[in-house]
Amino acid sequence: SLTINAHVMAQQCQAIVIYTGWERHALVGSDIRLSCSFFSWRWTSEEVTFSWTYRPDGSRDSISIFHYTGGEAYLDNKGPFKDRLEFVGNPGRRDGSILIKNLDFNDNGTFTCDAKNPPDIVGRPSSVRLLVFEKVPIQAGVITGAIIGVVLGLLVLVVVIYYLMRFLVARRVFSLNVRSVSGPAALCRWAFRQGLELRPEPIPGTDTCVAKLA
Amino acid sequence: MLFLIGIFILHISAIVLLLVATIDNAWWVTDTMRTDVWGRWLKINGVWNLTDLPTGTDYPQDYLHAVQATAVLACIFSFIAAFVFLAQLFTLPKGQRFTITGAFQLLACVFIMIAASIYTNRFHVKESQGSYGHSYILAWIAFGLSFVSSITYFVLRKKSA
Repeated sequence: SLTINAHVMAQQCQAIVIYTGWERHALVGSDIRLSCSFFSWRWTSEEVTFSWTYRPDGSRDSISIFHYTGGEAYLDNKGPFKDRLEFVGNPGRRDGSILIKNLDFNDNGTFTCDAKNPPDIVGRPSSVRLLVFEKVPIQAGVITGAIIGVVLGLLVLVVVIYYLMRFLVARRVFSLNVRSVSGPAALCRWAFRQGLELRPEPIPGTDTCVAKLA
Repeated sequence: MLFLIGIFILHISAIVLLLVATIDNAWWVTDTMRTDVWGRWLKINGVWNLTDLPTGTDYPQDYLHAVQATAVLACIFSFIAAFVFLAQLFTLPKGQRFTITGAFQLLACVFIMIAASIYTNRFHVKESQGSYGHSYILAWIAFGLSFVSSITYFVLRKKSA
């Protein structure tokens, strides 16, 4: 009885998981690619099937618009997507995506993809919602986020330029002969305070220092 | 030492007020409606529901984005000023002023002033019902606190290492 239980458990683990998008936005007249892929513990079988169904917004009925089985893709030739569908997926790579051309406002609705990988057939179909717009709206918060990002970016830029300027100016000053400058000890202290990478070295026998670029 | 702690507490309270003003939903309130720059709560049949802000001529979207962005930026700059203050506390040479901290705090002050001013000028101008809520008032108080805080940083000198 232990082996029977293990077999049942193994079968329950082997559910097929189907992935589509959650929501897709598109412009009127454009094409859209609805992607569908699945995860399965078994190798991709020769009898893998993909089927897409479409349910218009506000309607309770769904119609079948695409079916791939036995290595052949069958497209809608009677319904609302007649001559507008194209199979762009790769079943060998578990991709059952379709391309819908020349979108219209009537194409608003929910598209459901169901994939089966025999013997792995237990799974939940996944749905993607299509929204067709005349003008693609900017999602809430994008403009606000953009303003914040630009201001912070400018701030970072200002800080970077400031440190760059300080570094370049100090470099040019120290290309001169340090010994010829009066009060080299004070100059070394100034350079040290500026935070430049200089190591003041005391010249033996004197109380001046020579600053070398580290 | 006590003075420094006092300054820091002033700064922290400015940050807290800025956060409450930006996050809490009470810029304009009536009996059944509470709204701020992010959303609107409506009391329908005794239950509060979150709805989107109206989009129309009396709710200009671009000014709304400006208020949102400047309010968030004010919080961010005040946060940065707090960290810069702690950094300058340990790295500033003796006798120097906390100018960078003051600059950031002044930026935060200016940004929350811009946010509150735009909101006052462009939103709820013709509405007869309702009044400004506590978040709005706190935004102005935060403006005052951050202004005082930034002036203090511009004047304060580091006494000891």
